[in-house]
Amino acid sequence: MFNKLEYYKPDIEKTIKMLEKMYQDALEHRGGNVTFRALPPSDYDFYAKFDLTKYNYETDLEKYAQDLCILLKKSYELRKDIDDNMVPIISPMLGIGDYSAFVTGDITFQPDTSWSTPSLKKVDDWKKLPPLGTAKWYKKFLEIEEYLLQISADSGIPFMRGFFSPLDLAGTLRGEGIYLDFYDSPDELHELLDYCAEATIMFAEDIYTLAEKYLGNTKYGMFYSKGVINMSEDIACMISGDLYREFAAPHTQKVIDYFGVGHLHTHSRSMYLVKEVCSLKNVANLWLPTDPNAPRPIEHIEDLVNDANGVVLAIDCENFQEIVDNIEKLKKGNFSLTLPVKDVEEGIRLTNKFNELIK
Amino acid sequence: MILESISLSLQKGKAQDVKTFVKEALDNKITPKEILDNGLIQGMNIIGEKFKNNEVFVPEVLIAARAMNAGLEILRPVLLSEGVKPIGKALICTVKGDLHDIGKNLVKIMLEGKGIECIDLGVDVAEDIIIKAVQEHNPDILCLSALLTTTMNYQRVIIEALKKTNLRNSVKVMVGGAPVTEKYAKEIGADGYSPDAASAANLAVQLITEGV
Repeated sequence: MFNKLEYYKPDIEKTIKMLEKMYQDALEHRGGNVTFRALPPSDYDFYAKFDLTKYNYETDLEKYAQDLCILLKKSYELRKDIDDNMVPIISPMLGIGDYSAFVTGDITFQPDTSWSTPSLKKVDDWKKLPPLGTAKWYKKFLEIEEYLLQISADSGIPFMRGFFSPLDLAGTLRGEGIYLDFYDSPDELHELLDYCAEATIMFAEDIYTLAEKYLGNTKYGMFYSKGVINMSEDIACMISGDLYREFAAPHTQKVIDYFGVGHLHTHSRSMYLVKEVCSLKNVANLWLPTDPNAPRPIEHIEDLVNDANGVVLAIDCENFQEIVDNIEKLKKGNFSLTLPVKDVEEGIRLTNKFNELIK
Repeated sequence: MILESISLSLQKGKAQDVKTFVKEALDNKITPKEILDNGLIQGMNIIGEKFKNNEVFVPEVLIAARAMNAGLEILRPVLLSEGVKPIGKALICTVKGDLHDIGKNLVKIMLEGKGIECIDLGVDVAEDIIIKAVQEHNPDILCLSALLTTTMNYQRVIIEALKKTNLRNSVKVMVGGAPVTEKYAKEIGADGYSPDAASAANLAVQLITEGV
C-alpha cells in the first residue's frame, strides 16, 4: 500500500541526522538546535474521517488497520514536499482507552476518541488483577499492531507507540481516588505506581519486539522505538512539584532507565513542572502543547531554556513572526517548533523561510 | 480563635480535627452560621485562592473538601434546625459525550465552599435530563462542563434547549472546561465563564446575589 519512506520524505537522511544530533545534544545538555514542523490541515483532519465506532473490534481488526493506513498514506502523500522535521510514522489510533485497558477493563469508543473507566476501587486492588499480558486489550492491541506492520513494513516507515507514564496509568486505573491516595495511602500508592511502571515496561517490550520482527532490517523503522520510550505525564498538571518529585518521578525514571531514553509529553498547564520533568535522567524530548486558558510556552522561552537544561521542548506557535522574534532566545536551548499553516503550499513556503532563518 | 482553628485544619485537610473544632465551637455557643461563614467557608475560600494561584493543587483541594464535609456533617442538622439556608442552588454536570469529571467536581467543591447547594447530575448528561432537572429543581445556576473540543458544542445545544422550553430566563448558565474560552462562552450565549474552579465559585456568588 505504502511507497518507500524516502518517497514521503525525500531527504529522510538529513532529517534523521538532524533529529539524532538534536536528541544527542539534549542528553548532553547542550543547546543550539531549533527545528520546525509545518502543520497543514491534512496532517490532522484525517482523524475526523476515522470513526472509531465503525469497527467491531472482535472481527474487523484487519479492516481497521487497512482503513487507518489508507488515511495515513493520503496524509503523508499530501505533505511530501514539505522539507520540515516531520518523519512519517505508523501508529495505532484507538483514542485513549487502550492506554490503560491493556492492564484491565474495556474501552468505550466515541467517533474520535475513547476511554476506559477506572477499575481500582481501592489503591491496592491491582493485586487482585489477572497477570499482566492476559487482558483482552493487551492481546488485541498486538493483533492490531501486527496488521499495521504487515501492511506498512515494506515501506520502512517507522513504527511509534506512546504510553501513559506510571502516574497517568495509575490515575486512569484508579480514577479521582488517586488524588486522595497521595495523602491517605502514600506507601500503597508507590506500590501501585511501581506496578504501573512494570506493566508499561512489559507492554512496551512486547510492542517493540513485534515491531522489530517486521522493521528490524529497515534503516529507520525502529527510530522511535529502539532504546526510546514515549510517555505522557498529563495528570502531573494536577499535582504540585513536590508530589511529582516524590511520587511520579521515581517510577517514570524506572521506565526510562529500562529503555534508555525518554521522550515525554505534558501540557503548558504544567509549565511549572518543566524543571522537574527535565531533571529526570536521559530525557531527550518534552512535548509541551499549549492548552487553552494556560500560559503559552513561546512567550516564556527564557524561563523554559533554563528549566529544560537542554531537553528538546516541542512547542507550538501561532504565526511565523513569533519564531522570527524569538529565534535568538530559542537557539540557546533545543526546540522543535510546530506552526499550523493553512495548506501544504504555505507549509512549503514557511518551511523554506524557516530553513533560511536558521542557517 | 476556634474559628481560625477550623479554617486552618480544613486547609490542611484534617477532617477529624475540623469535626472536633466544629463540635467545640457549637459547645461554646458560637452560632452555626458564624461557624459556617467564618470557619468552613473561610477555609475553603483560602484554598480556592491558593488553587487559583497554583499554590495548592487538586489533591490538596480534595482533602480540604473532605474536611469541609466532615465539618458540615456536624453542622448541617443545626443549620437546618435554625433555618439557615444556602445562598443559592446550582445544577452541575458534564455534557453529553463527556466523561471527564475532575473539573466539574472541583467547581462543585468550590461552589459548596461558598455555601451554594449543588445538585450533581453526573457525567455525560443529555439535553432532556438537564431540562427536566431545571424544571424540577429550579436552580439559580446551571453549570455545564466539557473537557473536549468535540463536546463543548453541546453546551450551546443546552442553551438553545433552555430557550425553546422558555427556561432560559429562569436560570443563569455558566460554562467551563479546558477548551472553553470567554469568547466562546459569549458566542453561545452563556451568562458566565471562568478559567478555573475558584473563579467560577466567585462568579456564581455574583450571579446569584447581583444577577449579573
